[in-house]
Amino acid sequence: MSERRPFHRPQPRRWWAQKPYRAYTIRELSGVAVAAYGAILLAGLVCLWRGPDAYALYRRILASEASLAVHAVLLAAVLWHVVTWFEILPKTMPKLILRGQPLPQRLVSAVALLAALACSAALLVVVVAIGAMS
Amino acid sequence: MSDTMACSKTIELRVLRYRPASDGEPVFVSYRVPYSDDMSVLQALQSIKDTQDGSLSFRWSCRMAICGSCGMMINGEPKLACNTFVRDLGPDVAVIEPLQNFPIERDLVVTVGDFVRKIESIYPYIMPKAPKPVEDGTYLQTPAQMASYESFSDCINCMLCYAACPQFGANPDFIGPGAMALLQRYNGDSRDAGRQFRMDQIAGEDGVWACTAVGICSEVCPKQVDPANAVNQNKTNSALDFFLHHVRRDQP
Repeated sequence: MSERRPFHRPQPRRWWAQKPYRAYTIRELSGVAVAAYGAILLAGLVCLWRGPDAYALYRRILASEASLAVHAVLLAAVLWHVVTWFEILPKTMPKLILRGQPLPQRLVSAVALLAALACSAALLVVVVAIGAMS
Repeated sequence: MSDTMACSKTIELRVLRYRPASDGEPVFVSYRVPYSDDMSVLQALQSIKDTQDGSLSFRWSCRMAICGSCGMMINGEPKLACNTFVRDLGPDVAVIEPLQNFPIERDLVVTVGDFVRKIESIYPYIMPKAPKPVEDGTYLQTPAQMASYESFSDCINCMLCYAACPQFGANPDFIGPGAMALLQRYNGDSRDAGRQFRMDQIAGEDGVWACTAVGICSEVCPKQVDPANAVNQNKTNSALDFFLHHVRRDQP
């Protein structure tokens, strides 16, 4: 007679809070900060659409100390999201082969991150230039 | 075991044991093992089996990280027992458990049937574009064509990546990183024409889309196969396959 009686061990319920999964959890949660920042910008657009009084209130709220503190936290989370997003970028694409050898994933991440930073800087220059002209 | 005879240091190995005939659930049993600096965890387990408890069960074969048999959780991390040194554990206590996320058959032996079925499901062999008689010569491949899939062919089916994958832990039907690495090994091969058969196997919720890019599968891989890359690049392929399946000509 077979003695087989496989035992199913459940996965730890809080696996996401334990090493080495904690970094993944923080990376995913930082995506919430990106959404929150998008919602704040969207609220600004809605206030702009509703008229000068609503937009002035929006600006006053933005200038408050609580808002500045929230923005500092969101900026840190968004920067972390950017860095970790580009870290996993090479995992999501085919291997890039150069002269018969695969390109190192760290190089792919670094080049993509630099390109994103250059685009962000260029966008900032355009926005500042338009602001100065208007 | 001449190595152990000359050992002056000892370590306590807390081994999760499960004897289905007598245990209702797994229990930890401690063994104190003498060790030398060149002793692997596999050798320590063999020492326990030889000198303390002959009923301790574990899988092993090659002792050199090629066969993929001796995967287990060592201090909570999925590792091959044969290429983990006792000197790197402890210093006083180390915990040895069967691979996480798999049913335990007995002691450190887990059920592999489901994993094997997943491997079989992705057509793990080259399916040539057209039959080619031997007299027509060999299939040729450039170094770049080989480099695009070669690392995925290094998989030794040790299942450490499955033990590290929380999505496989949550959903045992997820095809998982190891089978996806093998799939990419063949889909990426310029001699192969079976891509569409394999894509049809991984399009559903239990295919690539169960992965959330945790990425620990690649970190624990003892052969640097990078299964996370295999899974995640096939999300793009699966999405393209979904949008293009009405227009493609090579319907299987």
